[in-house]
Amino acid sequence: MVAIELIRVTKTWGSTVAVRDISFEADEGSFVVLLGPSGCGKSTTLRMIAGLDDVTSGRVLIGGKEMTGAPSAERRVSMVFQSYALFPHLNARENILFGLKARKVAKAEQRDRLVRVAEMVGLADLLDRKPAQLSGGQRQRVALARAIIAENPICLMDEPLSNLDAKLRHEMRVEIRALQQRLGMTTVYVTHDQTEAMSMADQVVLMRDGAIEQQGPPAALYDFPETVFAAGFIGTPPMNLLKVEEVGSALVIAGTDGPAVAEAGYGNLVMGIRPEKIAIADGPGIGGRIESCDYLGADTIVGVRVGSQSILVRAHGRHLLPAGSYVHLHWQTYEVHLFDDETGARMTGARSLPIAA
Amino acid sequence: MPDRTRLVGNAAYGWLLLLPAAVLLAAFTHYPAVATLAQSLFTSGTALRPAEFTGLDNYRFMLEDEVFWRVLENNAWYAIGTIPISIALAMLMAVWVNRRLPLRAFVRMSYFTPTVLPMIAVANIWLFFYTPEIGLIDQIAAGFGIGSHNWLGNPDTVLGCIIVLTIWKEAGFFMIFYLAALQSLPPELEEAARLEGAGHWHFFRRVTFPLLMPTTLFVLINAVINSFKLVDQLFILTKGGPDNASALLLYYIYEVAFSFFDQAYASTLTVVLLAVLAIIAIGQFVILDKRIHYR
Amino acid sequence: MPGKLKSARTAVLALIAGLLLAPAAWAVELTMYYPVAVGGPLTKVVDGLVADFMKENPDIEVKAIYAGNYNDARIKAFAALKSGKPAQLSVMFSIDIYELIEQDAIVAFDDIVETDEERAWLESFYPSLMENGITQGKTWGIPFQRSTIVMYYNKDAFREAGLDPDNPPATWEELVAAGRKLVSKSGDQVERWGVMIPSTGYPYWMFGALTMQNDQVLMNGDGNETYFDAPATREALQFWRDLGAVHGVMPSGTIEWGTLRKNFLEARTAIMWHSTGNLTAVKKNAQFDFGVAMLPAKKRRGTPTGGGNFYIFKQTTPEERKAAMKLIRFLTQPERTAEWSIETGYIGTRPDAYETPALKQYVVDFPPAAVARDQLEFATAELSTYQTGRVRKLLDDSIQAVLTDQKSVEDALGSAQEQADRLLKRYR
Repeated sequence: MVAIELIRVTKTWGSTVAVRDISFEADEGSFVVLLGPSGCGKSTTLRMIAGLDDVTSGRVLIGGKEMTGAPSAERRVSMVFQSYALFPHLNARENILFGLKARKVAKAEQRDRLVRVAEMVGLADLLDRKPAQLSGGQRQRVALARAIIAENPICLMDEPLSNLDAKLRHEMRVEIRALQQRLGMTTVYVTHDQTEAMSMADQVVLMRDGAIEQQGPPAALYDFPETVFAAGFIGTPPMNLLKVEEVGSALVIAGTDGPAVAEAGYGNLVMGIRPEKIAIADGPGIGGRIESCDYLGADTIVGVRVGSQSILVRAHGRHLLPAGSYVHLHWQTYEVHLFDDETGARMTGARSLPIAA
Repeated sequence: MPDRTRLVGNAAYGWLLLLPAAVLLAAFTHYPAVATLAQSLFTSGTALRPAEFTGLDNYRFMLEDEVFWRVLENNAWYAIGTIPISIALAMLMAVWVNRRLPLRAFVRMSYFTPTVLPMIAVANIWLFFYTPEIGLIDQIAAGFGIGSHNWLGNPDTVLGCIIVLTIWKEAGFFMIFYLAALQSLPPELEEAARLEGAGHWHFFRRVTFPLLMPTTLFVLINAVINSFKLVDQLFILTKGGPDNASALLLYYIYEVAFSFFDQAYASTLTVVLLAVLAIIAIGQFVILDKRIHYR
Repeated sequence: MPGKLKSARTAVLALIAGLLLAPAAWAVELTMYYPVAVGGPLTKVVDGLVADFMKENPDIEVKAIYAGNYNDARIKAFAALKSGKPAQLSVMFSIDIYELIEQDAIVAFDDIVETDEERAWLESFYPSLMENGITQGKTWGIPFQRSTIVMYYNKDAFREAGLDPDNPPATWEELVAAGRKLVSKSGDQVERWGVMIPSTGYPYWMFGALTMQNDQVLMNGDGNETYFDAPATREALQFWRDLGAVHGVMPSGTIEWGTLRKNFLEARTAIMWHSTGNLTAVKKNAQFDFGVAMLPAKKRRGTPTGGGNFYIFKQTTPEERKAAMKLIRFLTQPERTAEWSIETGYIGTRPDAYETPALKQYVVDFPPAAVARDQLEFATAELSTYQTGRVRKLLDDSIQAVLTDQKSVEDALGSAQEQADRLLKRYR
């Protein structure tokens, strides 16, 4: 069952196009993340689902019903804002109950739901405090509680964690995800943080310049990035994207004499390889010199100079190689992604070559 | 000991820094207030009859002065008439022009225009609104077949006329404060409320209005002070008449001081005015402060 | 060489001394305040007259300072007095006399005049214009910018109502009768009233005319007694009220001083009582044939005078007083008075001014200008007492209370008189 469906939605402000002809669906109970750099149109898309902004063209369906142009109040969606949008003069209780009072829900019902929700988000002891007396995380919880107490089938979240510190962000990520699954809410979540997207989403919609770049489950985006942009946006550190040059009938990494990494004959290509898929080997492999080693605990990110380019390698464990030392890099053929240099699109026909000596 | 010298030196330095402000405050605020109080205890001297100490005689005279009670009552009605309406109107206009309107700048400006005009000029304009027969109001009324009315010449309507003019003059000014406050409210609050199904009125009552309370307090104090301070229009429109029906306290003070040349009695009335304003201001801060959310 | 040097040095010294002493070329310096209460470029006229005076008297320098309206001028004069740097002379409201005496601010002209010729000069003005300047048997003020109340009427309206436009009402009864004919209505709505007498701003002044017409003055010559509740005074106020409330020839309620002229010019009233100071403005703006007449009579004709007098301040040296006298005498010469009257519309303050060729010709060309003069014969002093501001207000308030039906004539005037008595007791 599809909870939300956007069909060829476009939004323009005067002559600027904020969202260009996008379509996607969110299944009931699923967690969809709109991911992209700032200014890519993901927040605008969310606001169009909420009815806070009108669509310029296209349709918005919610729960199978036509909702294009319907007022926000009729869409039965809750929303958590980046700024939380708590009412500063009301205490946590009043903030949470605001919507129920506006909709004139019976007093007893209000009380029951409040108890349940406060328990759920861990605010039971803080209900009498005003937003200014709460920490960032607590405010976040109030905003969350206000969103879920309405018991709407859909919850929209606009970068809800961006104002929290790293540790709290991680905790809340887990909590929100758990809450969402427990309540079975269809959630559309906007973020520019690919880690959040990867860890929380059932479905990721990657956006760029108002258009959808790629959509699918996190693994699909990770394993089969359809574009150079998708490849470079996901993963920490992101995929190495290397220039390759034609030498004879094969392609080599620019600035090196070989060995060949792919067949030639497909025009100018970009080669992608994820840092964690590269091994530092004694040989055979591609020669390079160590530039840097960032030890992260479980892994070390090793920077290696190959020809005219730098390649990052995620090596398991601790590796402290002196800069300038000569190493060989090695990877499996199937880990190599090839993209068209001009369009950025994945070249499905091109073949990578096993690394010889 | 050197420590101590330094402390004393620091204190002296601090006082020196305060001195210019303190001198100005004392010379132009405190001294005149005290002098006024002192003068209210003497008779008004002339060259031939020097001032004498009379204790509370001036106050006794005041309590028996029918005109004093009349202007005090007028002032109360004037305050009751102008303050709530001009504030409500200001809030309403601010909420209205805060939206996306066609010609918003123009609409805002036209609401603000009365404020930038000098009161004397405004009063001259309104004099020709109110004038019977040839005035704008009567001419419009005549169009509907309603007879002429002597608005300013009738004790029953004259104060109302002054009140309407004052509201017209003040509401635009107060609107600017509300507009500034409204623009500092994050727009997400309204969006959040919309999503929660709150209508415009519910949102205004539960969110906008309470969040505007600090502004309202500020505006309220200004409005109260103005209701005692704004008397320029009387000089043009009515000179307090007919038979003191539109005279206000400050206007009466002016009359006593500069038309009757009774400085002592003018001082007595000024002391009363100061006392009334002080009580109101303290009351407002104490009572309202507790109930206002400052961000 | 030393001789030459010495003489050079002497020359320089002389030059310096000359520069330093240059201001001393004027033996006396005078500062004069004057108010302007009517429209028009009056300051220019005053500056011109003063310049003429200084040309004739190079040893006297006069600084004429425009001081706002009558009220401002009085406040300024008192402020200057308190600061110890008063002006030497001033034009001020004629009714400020008692206040000025009470503040010991002015000196009587009787104490300055020396020659018989000067004494004769004191007698050369219209007696009615002197009334406000004389008290305690002495002359304190010399009339300068003076006016009276006259009756303006719309001759076209008179013709329309079947009245003789050259025979304006001369008695109260005629006023009421003419007023009734002049009122024109459309349905219940009055389109044109018969008469309007302004009752804001200066109600006591208009009332002074009505009481005088009923052969009653409002106060005594010493300024320490009022006659607010005299039977004739009451009758006068009753008549004023009845014009609106009983006869229906005037709107009820108070009538605004400031907009009355517009009412008249827009033919919303056929007759208005107003200051002669409006003559020029009415002449310029009237779209209809208008006339100016003396106010009507009950027992006699009557109007108060109004306007400003010259006063000389007490804190002056004998030389300054003499110089001030010279200036005042210069400004009140018949020719100057005539010039002043033509330029401003104020009354020529002395009979011989009207004998000058200039004013004679002017009156022939514009007969309304003579009405104010002719009426002077019946004129009386403007209400002026000790504590004059307060006393005046008592009367103003009771007039307005009666006109707006808040109080009966007896109550209003009775309490005004009672309070005035209380205020004036200590000056008797």
